[in-house]
Amino acid sequence: MSIQELFLKLYDFWLKQGCYIAPTYDLEVGAGTMTPDTFFRVLGKKPWKVAYVQPSRRPTDGRYGENPHRVQKHFQFQVIMKPSPDNIQRIYLDSLVSLGINLSEHDLRFDEDDWESPTIGAWGVGWQVLLDGLEITQFTYFQQAGGLELYPVSVEITYGLERLEMFLEQKDNIYDLKWSEDVSYRDLRFQEEKEFSVYNFEQADIQMLQHWFSSAEKEAQRLINQNLLLPAYDLCLKCSHLFNLLDSRGAISVTERVKMIGQIRTLVNQIARKFVEREGES
Amino acid sequence: MEFLLEIMTEELPSSHVRSALLQLEEKFNQEFQSARIGVNSLKTLGTCRRLVVLADLEARQPDEEEIVTGPPRQVAILPDGNFSPAALGFARSQGISIDRLEVIKTQKGEYLGFKRLKKGRPTEEIIAEKLPSIISSLTFPKNMRWGEKNFRFSRPIKNLLCLFNGQVVPVEFEGLTSNNRTWGHFIHSPKEIQVNSFAEYYQALKENFVLVDPEERKQSIFKQFQEKMADLKAEVYPDEGLLDRLLWNVEQPLVVIGTFPEKYLELPLEVLSTAMREGQKLFSMVRGKKQLPYFLGIADAPADPKNFIASGNERVLKARLEDARFFWENDLKIPLAERVPQLKNVVFQEKLGSYEDKVARLQRLVAYLADRLDIKSEKKALIEAARLCKADLLTEMVREFPELQGKMGGLYSRKQGFSETVSRAIYEHYLPQSLEDPVPESTGGAILSLADKLDTIVGVFGVGYSISGSSDPFGLRRNAHAICKIILEKKFHLSLSRTLDKAISLVKDKLTVPEAQLKRTCLEFFEGRLRFIFEKKGYRYDLINAALAPGIEYLDYTEARIKALNDLKQSKNFEQFILMAKRVKNILKEVPRARLNSALFKEKEEKELYSALKIIQKNAEEMLAKGDFAGAQKIIFRLQLPLNNFFDRVLVMSEDKKIRNNRLALLAQVQNLIQQLADYSQVVIESETK
Repeated sequence: MSIQELFLKLYDFWLKQGCYIAPTYDLEVGAGTMTPDTFFRVLGKKPWKVAYVQPSRRPTDGRYGENPHRVQKHFQFQVIMKPSPDNIQRIYLDSLVSLGINLSEHDLRFDEDDWESPTIGAWGVGWQVLLDGLEITQFTYFQQAGGLELYPVSVEITYGLERLEMFLEQKDNIYDLKWSEDVSYRDLRFQEEKEFSVYNFEQADIQMLQHWFSSAEKEAQRLINQNLLLPAYDLCLKCSHLFNLLDSRGAISVTERVKMIGQIRTLVNQIARKFVEREGES
Repeated sequence: MEFLLEIMTEELPSSHVRSALLQLEEKFNQEFQSARIGVNSLKTLGTCRRLVVLADLEARQPDEEEIVTGPPRQVAILPDGNFSPAALGFARSQGISIDRLEVIKTQKGEYLGFKRLKKGRPTEEIIAEKLPSIISSLTFPKNMRWGEKNFRFSRPIKNLLCLFNGQVVPVEFEGLTSNNRTWGHFIHSPKEIQVNSFAEYYQALKENFVLVDPEERKQSIFKQFQEKMADLKAEVYPDEGLLDRLLWNVEQPLVVIGTFPEKYLELPLEVLSTAMREGQKLFSMVRGKKQLPYFLGIADAPADPKNFIASGNERVLKARLEDARFFWENDLKIPLAERVPQLKNVVFQEKLGSYEDKVARLQRLVAYLADRLDIKSEKKALIEAARLCKADLLTEMVREFPELQGKMGGLYSRKQGFSETVSRAIYEHYLPQSLEDPVPESTGGAILSLADKLDTIVGVFGVGYSISGSSDPFGLRRNAHAICKIILEKKFHLSLSRTLDKAISLVKDKLTVPEAQLKRTCLEFFEGRLRFIFEKKGYRYDLINAALAPGIEYLDYTEARIKALNDLKQSKNFEQFILMAKRVKNILKEVPRARLNSALFKEKEEKELYSALKIIQKNAEEMLAKGDFAGAQKIIFRLQLPLNNFFDRVLVMSEDKKIRNNRLALLAQVQNLIQQLADYSQVVIESETK
């Protein structure tokens, strides 16, 4: 099974669970959790079910295409169910079965792994799912986002598509994976990994990134004051990505790290609070 | 009669399972005791998906006599001795005949009433009543909510099986209704099972791939370990912590064996075993001290017929080792010394500056310690080690595996040609991590570790932090324990007070707390930690108080004092001597000091005491100077006879003020001497407590 068949099957499975299939979000994000389809929808009381593929960028994970497992961009398959269904673990297992995995021949474990994102003021409790020792999914019950207690609680299931595909194809090298029958992961991504690793680690202009960061931060605050919450949140995502780039350029000291994460969180928390207030009024 | 409870949950963290089982045992015992339900036995079992309580209980509370009171006596009994209408009404409302009525005395006065036998309540009623509050009262380090509930628990609760004497005890809890159902292994046999007893429960679970008894799982793991290793003539690298975690993570332990390419054996053992343990929870295998290219893993499955589990783990481990090799080779490309300037970008603590600042302080502190401890030959190497010791924080390996800090610095520096003294000191400078952990073997490692930890304690207190209860964010207690342990085990004769002065002077420009106050804080803190350490070693608290009283200037001496005191506590003179010391101390309370003038002695006994004191003082002080407290203590005990005679025959509180003051001055000299050994008045002796 190729990667595209893999996510098509997952779409099909979660569609049948009543999920809305969201288009991929068109900004750089570090994880599927950060897109508006998750961030805003887990706030407030309205039920929500969504599934989508989200490319996720982690500049520091780049390895110039030389490491068989690490890449600065990978693909997540993200599911949110709100409120979390009672039998969600079983539903999740069924999704693996739908991919043709015969669980009785394997060791599947829900291994304690709580999740936290200080940038968006969020944390949750859950597991990493290990299949024969390989982490294929992050499974989290969201407790807080944007600094707010969440009620009802959403469950987030994030499949690492490359990991899952490596398991399915029994491959040791990410670039050997099949995207489709005749297009390999290498064809699609190898050059990109090489060039972006150079950019992320060596070429990105630090001064320009710092300048962009502070502009985006100011603009986000201005938009919050205008109650333009969705555009303001986009600017927070930009800040987050710029921060990650600066980090991979080694341009952030520990104190600055705390300060910049705090700046983004302050913005995100304001957005979350206002969003919930607005939803309460409608 | 049998009580069986199973709280079925989604996968709990292993530490939560252990803690929850302990809490359940304690709480059920308490509740049954306070409800007067006889407990013949009670134990807990469980896995990551089920918390199980099994008990043998009496069927019901014992019956008891109960008193029911009605109207007051004056109202209930008429002057003619007959019952009033109120009394008759009371009897009628209670449905009893009037001949059971009697006068009952209470604290509020006399009332008419009657006695009746209250039937004990059945045990299942008590269980049903208490269970919800017991479950709600379980605490975890971290809780969560799920779905649309506001209830908090470690992980979602799925089912409650609750049986007493084969019958379901009806309980409603957070949307769950208790029943007699359970389920087999979540992945390998998720079928529903109905049971009526523990025997059925245990057996059915076993058939469905769940070993509910942790001891049985442990035995199974050991047995499988041995089977796997027999052919290879190898041993499992012992890792109790890992085994303990995994024991609770699985319901059906299956040991799998796998290999990794031999080329990774070139990596240091530390790196290999960390990558296996921390990364993937695998056990390494050794023959003698040699690492073998094999690992053992504990899966949660009945079997691995197609070898998927073993080969899957092999692939993941290979990737991790490949990463580790990438880090190792990459890290070695940059000499440690070249990384040092980068430490200015790594914050040690916001108010205390970067690691560059810390390393500068450490270089001066180790130089000071090397001088004080008279190991000048290693001084240069130590300063070098201090300069390099934090550089590994900038390596990729330490970023990936933080627990390898220090060790990596040691390994890299050795590889890059630094002397054994330098690399050993760096390697060991985080030791000991706890009181159970060994101290550095090398003197250099011990000194660097001391300096590092002293600097942290002085600095953190010095910028205004304090610790209380469970709040000790910088691990100051752990650091202080390590310092005490190193000084005591390495027998470093080091003035704590002067060492603190030095450490404080080095961090002077950052302090927000006045220096004198900071030093006091540090000394009090060390005294407290020392007390804790001695208590852990099993010394009596009163002996500890006595031995700590002369101060903690030299920790090795403090320990020698307590050892001497402890050794002497069995001797026959001990008690009398203590009483004597107390008497001296009492008599000197609030007495102004006067000068001793031997010309003023009148009685034979005071002269004898004085001359004995002179000799004993001279001998004892020689021994004290050498740190021989046991010897000094024995000599000082010889004061007992002259002191006894003195107290028997001489009136200290003489009418003549001059003579009185002179006698007090003599006793003060005795006191001065014995106080150098201990404050004996703190020792509790049996004749006092009786």
